[in-house]
Amino acid sequence: MPADKAIEIKVLTKRYGSARGIDDLSFDIEKGEIFGYLGPNGSGKTTTIRCLMGLLRPTSGQCNVLGRRIEAGHATQHTHIGYLPGDFHIWAGRSARKSLKLMAELGNGKNCNKRQEELAERLDLDLDRRVRALSKGNRQKVGVVYAFGHQPEVLILDEPTIGLDPLISQVVLDLIREAANEGATVLLSSHDLSEVAAVCERAAILREGRLIELAPISKIIQQGQRQLKVWFIQGKNVPASTADLPEGVRVISRDSQSLHISYSGAADTVLKWLARFPVDRIDTLQTSLEEAFMQYYRKEDGHEN
Amino acid sequence: MRTNRRVPFPWPLLRFWTLRMLLAWFLIAFWIFLFQLIVCGIVHDNEKVKAFLQYIDLLPGFIKTMMSGDALQLGNIAGLISIGYQEPFILFLYMLYAVGVPTALLAGEVMNGNMELILSRPTTKTHVYICVALITIVGMAALVLVMFLGTVVATNLYDFEQEVPLYAFFKLAVVGGLLAGTVGGIALLTAACFSRITAISLTVAFLVVNYFISIVSEWWPVMKPLTPFTIFYYIDPPLILGQSVWPIRDIAVLITLLAVSTLLGGVIWQHRDLPL
Repeated sequence: MPADKAIEIKVLTKRYGSARGIDDLSFDIEKGEIFGYLGPNGSGKTTTIRCLMGLLRPTSGQCNVLGRRIEAGHATQHTHIGYLPGDFHIWAGRSARKSLKLMAELGNGKNCNKRQEELAERLDLDLDRRVRALSKGNRQKVGVVYAFGHQPEVLILDEPTIGLDPLISQVVLDLIREAANEGATVLLSSHDLSEVAAVCERAAILREGRLIELAPISKIIQQGQRQLKVWFIQGKNVPASTADLPEGVRVISRDSQSLHISYSGAADTVLKWLARFPVDRIDTLQTSLEEAFMQYYRKEDGHEN
Repeated sequence: MRTNRRVPFPWPLLRFWTLRMLLAWFLIAFWIFLFQLIVCGIVHDNEKVKAFLQYIDLLPGFIKTMMSGDALQLGNIAGLISIGYQEPFILFLYMLYAVGVPTALLAGEVMNGNMELILSRPTTKTHVYICVALITIVGMAALVLVMFLGTVVATNLYDFEQEVPLYAFFKLAVVGGLLAGTVGGIALLTAACFSRITAISLTVAFLVVNYFISIVSEWWPVMKPLTPFTIFYYIDPPLILGQSVWPIRDIAVLITLLAVSTLLGGVIWQHRDLPL
């Protein structure tokens, strides 16, 4: 494995009996990279992460972290990994501080008290309250402190901002950036696509256990259908019929003076079609990651227009 | 390339879980100890024994069987004291610990979601299993010692007409402890395989069926051929109290059952995907 790869997943397959988990996944993450891992519920994100953590035994294939093959149940490389599960639970009857201390003692994190204090302060979290008495958001903050507390080389974060308010979510994204700046590698699984776009350089998109895209965020956005909003000169009519629209172009909305259309491929065809009408002005609308993401699913479902 | 070949044993986890179970252990140990004092307090006095035996004779025969059977006779001090080792309440206390600890710590922590966190630290599944097995088996052994200690203290508190064969009671306590340890092994096996509720249900069902066969077979001969398949067949208090030798065959069977169930549980735990 090349020295610059922090995480490598090779033709990883996990089945639950006859049910699908993940199927032939392969990708790798470079050291210091923040990598987004996207997909709807049940697409296999958490299964991948649990295989990577050695919590599940893959049906076939392998995962490597920092140059070592992960063996299920053997805590391979766990000293170097900070993990935040998607559904974070910790002993409810104990204070967060006591539980975090215990978890720190199970490894190399004996001296992470100061760091945990810093994190708790940034997240506005009282570590001395019993976990049972904490709100869902505050429990998630405990999870963030747990994952970042021992300053790991690899961070595996499954939905890290779930249940957090926007301000605290921003703090978590800042923590991710800072960790990456200090050389940590981050695998960020998230449903909040805007947060992935905000911090990640590359992302993988998963659907029904299969990898359907692995590319830089900018490319993922570009690969979606592009959109134009066209205003026609006042007093002139909008094209009465759109029956002769070129292939790959569809009307999203229309009113008496404008058309909102989407197209795929080069703009040349759509511009030539528009040139037949008295166009006043054209806006090119920014395709959001969410739209691009949804379009991946439309494509895969065969709903592409 | 990082090297992280040896994962240290999770002593902090062992300490944490031991402390969590300590209160339950103390409560069970207290009742077991107290029960020995109560039993000795009754049986050292012949008048009380007579009244007790008259009372027992009024009850259905299987209750006498459950409490020591024919050993319950005036003048048979060892047989009378052994009530404290065989009474269903004492067995219940032992089984409570034997079943409760593995299912709470193994299946329970999985169910509560804490196991995912524990296993995300440098702690192997084998180490986690060893921690639970140690707390179960050492805890059971300590309860056995407390029971024997109760008898020792009681025999010093009360005067008995005959000498109390303490060594025989030590043997009885050891074999009884192995029996309870075997149940602990079965509970470890079920906790490694199933969810908490299923593990408790299966272990209790195992115990009830075993106990039912061993009791019922005393007055229904048809059940007799089944008794060697029950764990209670491998403890015979009158024989242990009456003979100076150790019941090697019974001890070997119980140790084998304990070892096989514990090891099998460990192998399954190591290879099983946790329902996280």
